[in-house]
Amino acid sequence: MSHRYVYGVVEASDDVEFETDAVGDADRVYTISHRRYAAVVSDIDTTEPEETDEDAQRHDDVLREIMEYEGGQTIVPMRFGMAFEGDRELKNVLRNAQPAFRRALRDIDGKIELGLKLVEEEEADVDREAVEDDVADHLEPIAEQSVPNDLFSDRLVFNRSYLVEKDDREAFDDAVAELEDEYEGQLLVRYTGPFAPYSFVDVKIGAQ
Amino acid sequence: MFVLDDLLFRPFIGIVDALHSIALDELYDLNELEDQLKENQLLYELGERPEAEYRERKEELEEEIEIAREVHERFSSSRVEVKR
Repeated sequence: MSHRYVYGVVEASDDVEFETDAVGDADRVYTISHRRYAAVVSDIDTTEPEETDEDAQRHDDVLREIMEYEGGQTIVPMRFGMAFEGDRELKNVLRNAQPAFRRALRDIDGKIELGLKLVEEEEADVDREAVEDDVADHLEPIAEQSVPNDLFSDRLVFNRSYLVEKDDREAFDDAVAELEDEYEGQLLVRYTGPFAPYSFVDVKIGAQ
Repeated sequence: MFVLDDLLFRPFIGIVDALHSIALDELYDLNELEDQLKENQLLYELGERPEAEYRERKEELEEEIEIAREVHERFSSSRVEVKR
């Protein structure tokens, strides 16, 4: 377990350490810092972790735990699979990507990501454009930003991720509940989150 | 028209290679298989697909995806192009 698996990056002042079921059977998550920023990591025995269902779930769960840690931390989330040879390589990345981390932390501070998928009931025939407009009227005024996601199924009418202020979470939940009532019998609602805002940060770091 | 255009504008690819490429593309459509995997997950999460059916389908699709990846890797560096 001599390598470091990275979940995301926080302000170095936000010291994070807790025991949990982490990726690759590790049982502890902690931070490695370089000046202003710190990577939240666990130990791992490979630099090329395989994306099993279990480990992908652990990655998401750990990020969620960090978001709730000691009243709530803002973390720039990394996609599954970022593992580094050792601390030195990781600190090099923290040093070189400082401007990107600064921008990303500013953009997502105090915000969460929520996902909404609407799936057509088997016998239903909805006006997809009208649904899209209606959902936008309900949710866009509350959200800070949103991005469309892939419509990977013929039955999938709507698939979007929203960046929402934590304080607006309840209003957003209520608006989704209204939509659920409105389309009962026509659309199935899959409302997910909160997630670390993967869809709203664009920091790519190279694992070494 | 895809077949005709393909043959007209890429004469360096022989008929057999072009047809071979199209057949591989149809048989091993990675994007389509990945979409089916996501749909299977979604329908299970919505309670529309029972767990046993979901697991069986997931296993089938994962095997098909693995084969499709191998086929694409094998042929992508050869003279036969496999692309959408």
